[in-house]
Amino acid sequence: MTTSVPEPLLALSGVNTFYGQAQVHFDLSITVARGHIVCLLGGNASGKSTTMKIILGLVKPRSGEVTFDGASLIGLATPQIVRRGIASVPEARRLFADMSVRENILMGAFVRNDRDAVAQDLDRMLTLFPKLGQRLSQRAGSLSGGEQQMVAMARALMSRPRMIVMDEPTMGLSPLYVDRVLELIRTINQEGVSVFMVEQNASLALEIAHEAYVLQTGKIVLSGPARALKDDPRVRDAYLGGSEAA
Amino acid sequence: MSSWLDYTINGLIVGNVYALVAVGLALIFGVSRLINFAQGSIYLVGAYIGWVAVVQLHTPLPLTIIVVAAAAAVVGLVIERFGLRPLQNSVRIAPLLATIGISFVLDQLVMLTFSPNPRALPSQLPDVRFQLGGGTIGPLDLLIAGVGITSALLLFVFLRYSKLGWAVRAASQDRDAAMQMGVDVNRVNQAVFGIAAALGGVSGMLVGMYYNQIDTAMSLQATLKGVVAEVVGGAGNVPGAVIGSLLLGLVESYGVAVFGTSYRNLFAFLLLVVVLVLRPNGLFASARQAPPEPLTGTFIAPSRPVRIPRWALAVAAAIFAVLPFFPVSFYVLQTLINAWLLGMLALSLTLVAGTVGQVSLGHAALLAIGAYTSALLSLTLSVPVGLAVIGGGLMSAALGTLLISPSFRLRGHYVSIATLAIGEIVSLVILNWEGVTRGPIGISGIPPLSLFGYDLISPSSVYWFSFAVMVVLALLQGRLLTSHLGRSFRAIRDDDIAARAYGLSLNRYKSLAFIFGGFAAGVSGGIAAHLYSYINHETFNTQQSILALTVVILGGLGNVVGAILGSVALVGLPEVFRIAAEYRILIYGIVLLLLVRFRPQGLLGTI
Repeated sequence: MTTSVPEPLLALSGVNTFYGQAQVHFDLSITVARGHIVCLLGGNASGKSTTMKIILGLVKPRSGEVTFDGASLIGLATPQIVRRGIASVPEARRLFADMSVRENILMGAFVRNDRDAVAQDLDRMLTLFPKLGQRLSQRAGSLSGGEQQMVAMARALMSRPRMIVMDEPTMGLSPLYVDRVLELIRTINQEGVSVFMVEQNASLALEIAHEAYVLQTGKIVLSGPARALKDDPRVRDAYLGGSEAA
Repeated sequence: MSSWLDYTINGLIVGNVYALVAVGLALIFGVSRLINFAQGSIYLVGAYIGWVAVVQLHTPLPLTIIVVAAAAAVVGLVIERFGLRPLQNSVRIAPLLATIGISFVLDQLVMLTFSPNPRALPSQLPDVRFQLGGGTIGPLDLLIAGVGITSALLLFVFLRYSKLGWAVRAASQDRDAAMQMGVDVNRVNQAVFGIAAALGGVSGMLVGMYYNQIDTAMSLQATLKGVVAEVVGGAGNVPGAVIGSLLLGLVESYGVAVFGTSYRNLFAFLLLVVVLVLRPNGLFASARQAPPEPLTGTFIAPSRPVRIPRWALAVAAAIFAVLPFFPVSFYVLQTLINAWLLGMLALSLTLVAGTVGQVSLGHAALLAIGAYTSALLSLTLSVPVGLAVIGGGLMSAALGTLLISPSFRLRGHYVSIATLAIGEIVSLVILNWEGVTRGPIGISGIPPLSLFGYDLISPSSVYWFSFAVMVVLALLQGRLLTSHLGRSFRAIRDDDIAARAYGLSLNRYKSLAFIFGGFAAGVSGGIAAHLYSYINHETFNTQQSILALTVVILGGLGNVVGAILGSVALVGLPEVFRIAAEYRILIYGIVLLLLVRFRPQGLLGTI
């Protein structure tokens, strides 16, 4: 477990974040290795979603450094960060409800100018998410939660990102779709896209992640290879409901 | 005009003109959740640029349209870049107030450049009318319809097929998500402000040609009509704005057909209030997501109020109380009397807008109700003036609260729109209810102030009277704010959902605030009526509502001492510096803009 970690693609180091007077992150450091799935676990109000927002430039940290592929992201606006190769699947999907499914997926390619390749990628998405084929001209807001999650993932992939950040991708989905989403995250990752995901459902997340971090009230309290964390009694007690979880 | 077909054609043509304004408002609201009160000013600018092009440069019509569209678009881009973009991270009310300030500045600049006198704007089209069924239609009607339909088609193509158009749609549905797709929201804002301004400018020019007359009063009217049409159609909904505009045009035209010209605007605002009450999201609102959080809370800039020791306030009050004993000029006393009257209005507004968070843009209506009640009580029923003024206050409290109550379930910007409309309705009812209010003639010969049989005619007695009334109202309001009731008011402002969850009845507390505030404003209006001895439906106008709002923001929202300080400053400083009257509104607009940008909490801070 010590030698196999490749060079980091994304690195947060010493990040301190504040909302007004309240400190959200305390000296936060997280790295996502190239080609890995990294999962950030934590309960409510632990600062998970804010971590996503820091990476995407939606919230600015008061101090600390965020680098992507060796270059700093601090001070960049969200659209510029997206152009560097980070795509997002936001919390609760956040589709463009009044636009069609096709338009939603194509919005993911907003930063690209290669029309023909975009059209090919749209076809590729329909093989990856076959269910969306019949839904293309439907209003995105009329889809079920699980279908919306598929659209959100397809939309993120359309920018040909090097990394996808996902905020609670399984939240509010039926068990059937939860498995499907996790399966898809693994597939996406195998095609070479690094994944950083924030999750509350620790047992599922640790199934597919390479590494994981546990965030508690803004501090990293545990980190390491997912397999090791899964067996860690502290994680089991806090997040996996004691010994019932497999 | 005679036949119903004529009224229908007129309604649709006017509706087309409104649509050009409303579509721009809808685009801007969609992307920024902002009601752009400067839209009417751009329309005004468009009309005057059209006048320069046609009358002075003799441009042919197609070129005139292009020149107006391009010049108005530039104005829109400048507003977005320098007026609104710096406020991106401010409190939600800041951009709204900024657009009000910008509209004051633009209107006044146009007035100073071209003089307030109306000008003729010839249409350059042959003056013939074609028979169409039972009605007639002229080339200008066809031009307006053509411009309306062409603009709608161009806009449709832009939104549906261009990349920037997609960005506009995405940003208006979910701004954050659009940014995460790589959309540059600043460019989107630029695009919608440019388009909205181009359409608005062309609309102003067409209206000028339609009535063959332009003047600076067009601005506020256009903003109001555009806002009505947009809200009727569903705020932020572009096709809805078009349908809302046509509907508004027809309702007005038929209203005029049945009741006469002076009822035109009354029907417009009644339509707005009916829609706001029955379908606050507009007629064509889709079941869209709730507006982005926070709904309230950050609406008002939070700050630490400046603490002023009681003894200092007492000393200041004592100095002002003994002022008439010193050899001060009549002019100084007169200025301060105006300040005390404005102070009462500001006390009322700072309670309603600052403490309870209901930013009213129609507060002058409360003055009008108080003034008319007091004037009519003393004139027709011979009620002693002192009692009549109190009667004016009570009537303002009762009627004002009753009129505003349909808007209690609205929030944020919608409260501002509803109060603006209610203010206009009050003024229009006064204009049209001739049996009681004497209509456009107004009321003259109102008896002077008197108390227990003694006439208050000397400047110092009027000064003492108005000062004393204001101080009593201020003390009462100060007590109110420190009481349990005051805490409940602030709770509603800061988070109405949480307040409701704690069992506060919003309607009851909002009513209480409007009753108290209505009384203060009504008393101010009553005193003013007896001072002026003549009032009409335009004595208490929207400009006064906005002036009061500027005063309240200058002093610090919710701040009692701030309201009075703000009144003295805004009434007194222009006098001190001998600023000519026509520049004052310009200065108020600039003060509002600077405050919003650099000191949103006001001089003494919000409470």
